[in-house]
Amino acid sequence: MLSISGFQKAFEYIDLIKQGMICTLSLSALTVLFGFILALVLAICRLSNFKAAKFLATVYVEVIRATPLLVQLFIVYNILLAGISLPKFRLFGFIRFERFLPGVIALSLNSGAYLSEIIRSGIQSIDGGQTEAARSLGMTQWQNMQLIVLPQAIKNVLPAIANEFVTIIKESSICYTIGVQEIMYGVNSIKGATFSIGEPLIIAAVVYFCLTFPTSKIIAYFERRMSRGDRR
Amino acid sequence: MEMIKTVNLHKSFGDLQVLKGVSETIEKGEVVSIIGPSGGGKSTFLRCLNLLEKPESGQIFFEGKEITGKHVDIDLHRQKMGMVFQHFNVFPHLSVAENITMAPMLLKGKTQAEANDMARELLNRVGLIEKYDEMPGKLSGGQKQRLAIVRALAMEPDVMLFDEPTSALDPEMVGEVLDVIKGLVDTGMTSVIVTHEMRFAREVSDRVLFMAEGNILEQAPPADLFDHPNHPRLQDFLSKVL
Repeated sequence: MLSISGFQKAFEYIDLIKQGMICTLSLSALTVLFGFILALVLAICRLSNFKAAKFLATVYVEVIRATPLLVQLFIVYNILLAGISLPKFRLFGFIRFERFLPGVIALSLNSGAYLSEIIRSGIQSIDGGQTEAARSLGMTQWQNMQLIVLPQAIKNVLPAIANEFVTIIKESSICYTIGVQEIMYGVNSIKGATFSIGEPLIIAAVVYFCLTFPTSKIIAYFERRMSRGDRR
Repeated sequence: MEMIKTVNLHKSFGDLQVLKGVSETIEKGEVVSIIGPSGGGKSTFLRCLNLLEKPESGQIFFEGKEITGKHVDIDLHRQKMGMVFQHFNVFPHLSVAENITMAPMLLKGKTQAEANDMARELLNRVGLIEKYDEMPGKLSGGQKQRLAIVRALAMEPDVMLFDEPTSALDPEMVGEVLDVIKGLVDTGMTSVIVTHEMRFAREVSDRVLFMAEGNILEQAPPADLFDHPNHPRLQDFLSKVL
């Protein structure tokens, strides 16, 4: 049962949640960065005329989308990085790097697959006439992609990308299972110290909400600003 | 001097044969209009000239060099062939000025200042100078097409290809675009124009090609072609559109 005194006790350990928040945000930010880069490569591979690249990218995306994130996380942590001894140092003085890095890798590999589908649909939404115009001016395929198609495509799918960022913040909680000190890890530590799980869970839920809700609002605001004045 | 020469071009889309062995030569300084019914291969022929469509067989020579061969850097040749599209295809994420300056800076090594000067001069020429900093979304169809024309001109091409440049325009905007094209051909720009504007074709062209059923069925100077059509297919076509 929840109680006022339970919350008071939990708040004595609020630093654990604060650290968890820093960890969750670092984890999510790095995931979005690396996931986005991976997604660009995957999307371009899938749309290229190069059969092998197309095939490999398609297989990758389908495999990732058809398996649970938890399984992927454990595979990265227990198999992919098993033989590698990662340097043991602490980010911001508390985040254990050898746990944090596998978390970032697994989440990036996962969100890269989902983001690539979003970017691919964005690229496909751009009228073929844009490419024809760019190529007719003498631009190469790559210059066209980089300067004409992608800027428009990414702008079109910005809401979906923002949504993915919010999803990553929430899904990163799964990394507590390999000992990454994010918010849920903080909850678990508080439970160990106070013998009470309800209050820290409620606090965690509120913290997650405070992270994701404004994020989606801020991105929606920028999206409105960016689309102003250039309707076709 | 030959600007563009095609030899026996064939092109199909699936089972549909669109070009059935088109051989034609466009001379330097010449203004050639292509008229004909829809589906006759006019646009496909034009789009083959800068290889936006790849012909299945046949050859295309541009300024004496074969561009249909292997190991040809088509991007370099395209820099010298400006193209204007039916649907304008201006870049909506770039300002009017950037639409013009991007390609010359990227591909011809122009500095920002040189490119800006050029954009100003070109926009002045087509009456769009006050739109310099606008986004294309705020332009009318006719203004977009004028922008698309000067965007192509900024690459200082040797030939301009127009693919039905006024077909997507509201009727009251056709005139302003045709005026710009007319002004351009008057400067001696080699031009190939696919158009449904018969009066315009008659006025500006040195030569008019009639394309139907995948080939050039008749060609002549405009006065001859329009006043004394020989081919029954052309007579039929003209009786419907004039």
